[in-house]
Amino acid sequence: MKRRVFTLVAIVALLAAPVAYGAEETRWVNVHVTENSSNTNVEVHLPLNLVLTVLRNVDVENFHGGHVDLELDEDMDINFPEIMQAIKDAPDGKFVTVTSDEADVNVHKEKGTIYIDVNQKEDEMAKVQVTVPVEMMDALSFGEENTLDVAALLEAFDNLPNGELVKVTSNEANVRVWIE
Amino acid sequence: MMNSQRGMSTLGAVLLAATAGLLTATLMMDWMVVDVHVVDVSEHDDIQADMPVHIKVPFPLLIADIATGFIPDEAFEDAEIPPEARAQKELVLETIRALLDSPDAQYVKVRTEEANVDISKDGDTLRIAVDADDAVVRCNVPIDGILEALEEWDWETVDPGMVFDILHAAENGDLVTVATEDGVRVAIKMW
Repeated sequence: MKRRVFTLVAIVALLAAPVAYGAEETRWVNVHVTENSSNTNVEVHLPLNLVLTVLRNVDVENFHGGHVDLELDEDMDINFPEIMQAIKDAPDGKFVTVTSDEADVNVHKEKGTIYIDVNQKEDEMAKVQVTVPVEMMDALSFGEENTLDVAALLEAFDNLPNGELVKVTSNEANVRVWIE
Repeated sequence: MMNSQRGMSTLGAVLLAATAGLLTATLMMDWMVVDVHVVDVSEHDDIQADMPVHIKVPFPLLIADIATGFIPDEAFEDAEIPPEARAQKELVLETIRALLDSPDAQYVKVRTEEANVDISKDGDTLRIAVDADDAVVRCNVPIDGILEALEEWDWETVDPGMVFDILHAAENGDLVTVATEDGVRVAIKMW
């Protein structure tokens, strides 16, 4: 009897193993660009881990180990963490509304997500939609020497639900960035 | 009464066994085949014959690897690796390691009026396909072989042996195929 139970447990464990393994889902960063004039279509579908590894190891001017140098004037005294916290704590609602002949800009917060919409009214007639989940704000980490930890920001993608982050549509090209 | 039965001498048996062993060892080696096929010779002024040209050169990788050992060091003295490339060693190695650990999928797909490009990962192989107006290229890059070769490389001098480290890790089949619109087809295959 004991032996039969042991066999049954072993079979269940074996069957469950792939399910458990599959639970560690790979997150993917997707970029889709279409250029209308040249009929060009580019689709990039990369594992988040791969992108992070590259970012953490790039060592070029203004970008070291995932940190980008913001090149801000030393006299500028901007407390980025405080600003981020203020945005995070702010209640839902419209933050910025700009209406002009050139473009309309709208920034609002809704259910823990910040939406930035820009509607260009001339030239390329671009329509930009940026979605920033508040969780990403937590990941915005600014160094002492005016650097932004881009890799940490991207790492936060791992905890975000699937969805669109940036969408640009215009007469010339369409760009879409999303995570899944 | 004489015994008419003739047995094999010891020397004969040793020679036969040695030949069989040598043959088996040779066949078990990694082989590479360079296959050049010119289908439309009319496009090529340098080819005199009217018949299509087809050259196939198979050779064991080990032989080619040994042959590179005879290249004098002076030949590579001027070919110094720039320090900018050396500085990116960790980036390159870490990226390849991460790529090796990444799941199989199509990573890049580009469609233009002039060319289509597809890059996908299939096990330890990165498959690159380019379909251009004037040429079709297929390339199967052994990611693990490249990582191994780059890890062992000193990143300072040119090492032709690296190529063979990469080729040893390549899967059997087409490594690179190039077909041009003027009828030339070059294929490098692994056995």
